[in-house]
Amino acid sequence: MKKLLASTMLAAGLYAVAGSAQAAECGDVSIAEMNWASAGVAAHVDKIILESGYGCSVTLVTGDTMPTFASMNEKGQPDMAPELWVNAVRTPLDEAIAEGRLIQAAPLLSDGGVEGWWIPKFLADANPEIKTVQDALARPDLFPAPEDASKGAITNCPSGWNCQVSTANLFRALGAEEKGFELIDTGSAAGLDGSIANAFENQKGWLGYYWAPTSILGKYEMVKLSFGVEHDKAQWDACTAVPDCADPAVNAYPVSDVYTVVTKEFSEKAGVAMDYVSTRKWDNQTVGKVLAWMDENQGTNEDGARHFLQNYPEMWTSWVAPEVAEKIKAAL
Amino acid sequence: MASMICSYLPELLCKFPAIDTNLMRVVRKTIDDSFKGFVRAYGNVIDTMVQPLQSFLNWLEALFVDSPWILVLIALALVVYLTSRNIKIVIGAVLSMMLIGLVGLWEDTMVTLAIVTVCTLISIVIGIPIGIVMARSNRVQSVVNPVLDVMQTMPSFVYLIPVVMIFGIGKVPGLIAVVIYAVPPIIRLTNLGIRLVDREVLEAADAFGSSARQKLVNVQIPLALPTIMAGINQTIMMSLAMVVVASMIGVGGLGRNVLQAINNQFFTIGFLNGFALVAIAIIFDRASQAYGKRLQKHTEVVHG
Repeated sequence: MKKLLASTMLAAGLYAVAGSAQAAECGDVSIAEMNWASAGVAAHVDKIILESGYGCSVTLVTGDTMPTFASMNEKGQPDMAPELWVNAVRTPLDEAIAEGRLIQAAPLLSDGGVEGWWIPKFLADANPEIKTVQDALARPDLFPAPEDASKGAITNCPSGWNCQVSTANLFRALGAEEKGFELIDTGSAAGLDGSIANAFENQKGWLGYYWAPTSILGKYEMVKLSFGVEHDKAQWDACTAVPDCADPAVNAYPVSDVYTVVTKEFSEKAGVAMDYVSTRKWDNQTVGKVLAWMDENQGTNEDGARHFLQNYPEMWTSWVAPEVAEKIKAAL
Repeated sequence: MASMICSYLPELLCKFPAIDTNLMRVVRKTIDDSFKGFVRAYGNVIDTMVQPLQSFLNWLEALFVDSPWILVLIALALVVYLTSRNIKIVIGAVLSMMLIGLVGLWEDTMVTLAIVTVCTLISIVIGIPIGIVMARSNRVQSVVNPVLDVMQTMPSFVYLIPVVMIFGIGKVPGLIAVVIYAVPPIIRLTNLGIRLVDREVLEAADAFGSSARQKLVNVQIPLALPTIMAGINQTIMMSLAMVVVASMIGVGGLGRNVLQAINNQFFTIGFLNGFALVAIAIIFDRASQAYGKRLQKHTEVVHG
């Protein structure tokens, strides 16, 4: 019996070698697993699909927007960033695309990333008159600053992210300082998430920068405030997104482009997978549901990816050829 | 190849029998939820409790930042001189502070100095008594030592997030994170210093009829002071190293600039701020080392 088992295994091994010969055009692929939930799930979905569907061998590399982009741009490693918020790296990315180092594949989020200033839903329900950022700024007492309760607080986005610049400029444009507010630096994404969790657990007011789709917004219900103006792209590029710009005006956040970006090398060696990468997209609602499920069940990124592949086949089967879809289903 | 062996072994010995994932999930959720429940129940009480500390931190930071730089520099030079009595170290300290000011990092450095000062003071106040108690009882030592091991090796990110959930972001949680990391060396070295005091000296003190308290205050601590100073020195160094991590939960100063530089790949800014931290560290280190040496001189009673 044991002998039989061993020989079966050997045969299976040989068969696997023969099978991988067909998929030799894919080879080793490294994918950036960014350190926020939606991108982490996307990376794992890609890993499962590329490995079981296209026979690639995938390694995941932990990453963050700026370091990962710099590494892809300079060294061509990792091969692929599934969820890159391109606004943050617009200038160098355009250069890299023009020089043929990187390729901007499909938008991963079909409705784009949503950024803005948010307040907790319980606060919005208790104060229905607060609809816009300006309304909120009239009530510094509702948003006590963590280190000085006499002032209101606008929580800024993590140090070194692009949104830190735009939030600071909008803070000045709105004259928030004169209205008794200070801009609170959170330091890191973990600090920002922690400050929201702290506000919700203690039922305190919170006003600050956040973005969707994120697991925090799945966990804690928040309301996005309007800036009372339309997004003005010219103004945004000329001033709002420029550090310490001279005369900032009130502006609304653009819908962020969130793309999958791959290196030139990847598009050459993994041609089969390119079709998949350039068709794959999901919407914020689906991502939100997956993230909420992960939060509910304390799932890892991998659990989230498996949950998505098992429960939303009608979505992902449209990204790949039918025979590839069969392979993936078999692997699940 | 290794997987081949598995076909000859029972599965139990091949794949580690882990606890059922669903059970683990329930356990994790229960612990998380009970922690959140704790935060909900006691969040406001804890907030009120740390309020004085918060005010003190704000006041000290304002004092360091808002004072005219020349006064701060003179005060710093005086402190360095009084501890080290070494004009070379004073000149070095003043020069490096000048350089920091020249590259535009004066305010950030003051913020960092304020938080490191408070962290060091708190570490000394907590650490030395614990070290003394440890030195006097082997049982206490065997209990405290593993705790210190955990404090020094537990990745700080693990407790940063719970700390933020309880205290929000800012200086107080940053302070707690830094102290957890920086207090062990002073506890360990206080304990060690007292335990290494010469047995014969203690016998002599006994012969003269000292009480336990007199022995501690007049014999053991003075003789252990150089070691305790080395502990303080290590604590300062660790506080400085931890300042960057504390910036991840909203502590300002040099750490925040370092984080920003890392996120944006600005090497120069990163190195400038890094070197500012190094400069402060060297000033503290040389001053406290020299102070320790001086203490040693005083305590080395010339044997007849």
